[in-house]
Amino acid sequence: MTDQTLPMEKNVVIKPKLSRDDWIMRTFVVGIGLWLVVTILMPLYAMLSKSVQDKDGVFVGMRNFAEYFSTPALFNSISNSFFIAFVSTIFTITFASIFAFILCRSTIPGKSIFKGIALLPLLAPSILPGISFVYLFGQQGVLKFVLGDHSIYGPIGVIMGEVFYTFPHALMILIAAFSIADARLYEAAVVLRTSRIRTFFTVTLPGIKYGLISAVFVVFTLVITDFGIPKVIGGQFNVLATDIYRQVIGQQNFEMGAVVSVVLLFPAILAFAVDRLVQRKQVAMLTARAVPYEPKPHVMFNRIFFVYCCLIAIMIVGIIGMAAYASFVTFWPYNLALSLDNYDFDLMDGGGWDAFYNSLQMAAYVAVFGTIIIFTGAYMVEKSKGFKFMRGLIQFFCMIPMAVPGMVLGLAYIFFFNHPENPLGIIYGTLPILVIVTIAHFYTVSHLTAMTALKQMDPEFETVSASLKVPFVRTFLKVTVPVCLPAILDISIYLFVNAMTTVSAVIFLYSSDTSLASIAALNMDDAGDVAPAAAMCMVIVATSASVRVLHALLTHGLNKKSQAWRAR
Amino acid sequence: MIDPKNDAQADVYLQVRDLKKNFGTFTALRDISLDVFDGEFVCFLGPSGCGKTTLLRAIAGLDIQTNGSILQGGKDISALPASERDFGIVFQSYALFPNLSVIENVGYGLVNLRSKKEDVARRVSELLDLVGLDDQGDKFPAQLSGGQQQRVALARALAMSPGLLLLDEPLSALDAKVRVHLRHEMKELQRRLGVTTIMVTHDQEEALTMADRIVVMNDGVIEQVGTPEEIYREPASPFVAEFVGTMNFLNAHKGSNGEIMLGDHAIHLTEQEKKKLNGDKVLACVRPEDIAVRNVDQGTANSFDVTVTDLEFLGSFCRATLSYGADKSQINADFSINLVRDKNIKVGGSIRVALPEDSIHIFSQG
Repeated sequence: MTDQTLPMEKNVVIKPKLSRDDWIMRTFVVGIGLWLVVTILMPLYAMLSKSVQDKDGVFVGMRNFAEYFSTPALFNSISNSFFIAFVSTIFTITFASIFAFILCRSTIPGKSIFKGIALLPLLAPSILPGISFVYLFGQQGVLKFVLGDHSIYGPIGVIMGEVFYTFPHALMILIAAFSIADARLYEAAVVLRTSRIRTFFTVTLPGIKYGLISAVFVVFTLVITDFGIPKVIGGQFNVLATDIYRQVIGQQNFEMGAVVSVVLLFPAILAFAVDRLVQRKQVAMLTARAVPYEPKPHVMFNRIFFVYCCLIAIMIVGIIGMAAYASFVTFWPYNLALSLDNYDFDLMDGGGWDAFYNSLQMAAYVAVFGTIIIFTGAYMVEKSKGFKFMRGLIQFFCMIPMAVPGMVLGLAYIFFFNHPENPLGIIYGTLPILVIVTIAHFYTVSHLTAMTALKQMDPEFETVSASLKVPFVRTFLKVTVPVCLPAILDISIYLFVNAMTTVSAVIFLYSSDTSLASIAALNMDDAGDVAPAAAMCMVIVATSASVRVLHALLTHGLNKKSQAWRAR
Repeated sequence: MIDPKNDAQADVYLQVRDLKKNFGTFTALRDISLDVFDGEFVCFLGPSGCGKTTLLRAIAGLDIQTNGSILQGGKDISALPASERDFGIVFQSYALFPNLSVIENVGYGLVNLRSKKEDVARRVSELLDLVGLDDQGDKFPAQLSGGQQQRVALARALAMSPGLLLLDEPLSALDAKVRVHLRHEMKELQRRLGVTTIMVTHDQEEALTMADRIVVMNDGVIEQVGTPEEIYREPASPFVAEFVGTMNFLNAHKGSNGEIMLGDHAIHLTEQEKKKLNGDKVLACVRPEDIAVRNVDQGTANSFDVTVTDLEFLGSFCRATLSYGADKSQINADFSINLVRDKNIKVGGSIRVALPEDSIHIFSQG
């Protein structure tokens, strides 16, 4: 034979030569890694180190923490925060579970309308329910009698607001959990003559178990980290998120702000870790052979279900409607004539219409650049070869934002970008820093959406391209992006709506030139201009809703156009 | 491992030497050496997890081996990435781009190479003609049947006129009937184009009908390399004997004069098999279809009486379970329906069968 022509020794380990594509991909992977380090890790590090320093930046160990825990006014907020989170979670999960169950497992009419209404709170900044409750249950509220002697300003108002705000988040997770039911299990239960009750406990409940746990932790995290609602309707009732704000904005005590942030970070990280653990198990639940469950009509139950859904829908529409109505009322409650006076934002503090235009601009930038960065990053991490450690590390980085409350991230940005020695400090107080912090804040969910879409792509597309000597960039643009377009649109709309409504991460970072609509609403409310605040919230809701409708039309058109190749 | 018969006729196109592949502590391939000749159709055959796909992916540069070398057309490609090697590939999933038409899929690589649009169009229509899809060019993959998708993938793999065609279980996603049809078509196409082809399959029938040579793999090593007939007729190991086709494994002892004792019956062997005798315990292999009944009488060599304990009707033939000797050892035999009728074979009956000398292969058992 021809053995003698072989240049290789038998046990020499082959060092694979990297192709041009490999180099390009790795450059992108490193780039995305650096981006995450600069926009997430380093700010967080700056914040953590600030919590163990004094005002002059000298390391003082745990002294700030000792001070924190010896000040009852401060650490009482911990129990307040947990109390609010526990109670809100119980209410939200109860209401949302029943709602999701009805939408997935009954035959009542108008399910899509109910679902649409239930998701409305996603379009509003979290301060909206707070403002609405002022009009409904406040000193001059139309429904004040309902609360009797209790004041809406305090835990009652906060819990009600949080339930409104977190309801759609829980609902989406629970609908997903309910809709993966396997009809064969129910048929088996019927064949074995199992009662409805027993079927519920032995089939339905185990089926949604993971979704339920996940929803519990998501709601818990949202509530404990929320700033808008307790700020507007909490009154003297302090929680961790408002404490950070008071320490930083009110008292300029940045170190204590950092300490409270660290305290708030703990429950958020814990809830996040449990949620990730649970979701990993959920994946294995649905087998490819599962048969979708088709609900059968049940007249009596359907009536009860319908009434329940109507009640929930009326409450949601009522809360948004109240804010809408109040925004048009000239001077509550003395002059109920309708006018657009409250929309004349330029007459109020808070930034005027410019704030709205800033918001629009920022949301557009976040949607465009965020989608590009996140989707490209996810693609490189998913499709590049080798480089395992780096890719695993980046996957981990991408998960961090989910566990970091917006307030904490915003404060961390102050410490990092406002540091005199940081050359990146030039973007402090500009629109770009608001764009960057918002992208970082909502990175995780977008990244996971992108990953899900990419994992459904045939892993051999890149291989085939390589064998045809086509650079991966062409395949990315010609195949991956068009095929993933629905997911890409989902990411951009998610980023846009969240950028429009967010308050927490940006509240520390705006300057007088870059105020945002949601912050303007908050500040107007703070200054006592509640009606204009409601008006600004409505402008945000209207914008988010329009963009949503646009997105729906676009997706519809896209589906029609791509029907030829998407149909199976 | 290299078939000397073919060596003289053709040049070696692909040389694999001492290939080893580790995934962490798991060894997927150990010391694989193999020559593939120019224009040859080679099948890697083996059960799942035997390393056949790993070997294919190493040859393609998708998962590069830990040690060892690969030469293609005299060029050392051991460490090259896939994009710098010369091959076309068809995957089990076909990996057709769903949003591109058949024409765009087939022309995907060509567009990158040639400047002239007409050249690309001409080549694409040539290729579609070749796989018999000239009228389907404007459709999207999802609008085609599985068999048509497979042919588009084949056309795309051949578009760049690669020196080596790699097929990774290309037929296993198809219906049985389509599979048989395409098997023949692909083989024809390969013969016509003369492109050196390696196909990975776990389906022995596919390997036997399509391959010029079969590489039987198990547990990360090559068990045997040979023509389909060699693999079937002269299995080099009990694994190959069992994996390809159906085989009786009979426990025997070494007898005198180069015979083996099957219970009380002395069985003669060919001269070639006699040389393999070593040690007392012997495993004798014989295919069910080789067991003779017609023209067998007391005087026939290697003949003995058996009892029919079971008859399983399998359509065109019957599989009989026969028992012999004092310990009622069992042996399977395939009898044609004709034979069953003529000889009136039925369960509980007794017949005399013979094991033709040249149908017996033996393996020593330690």
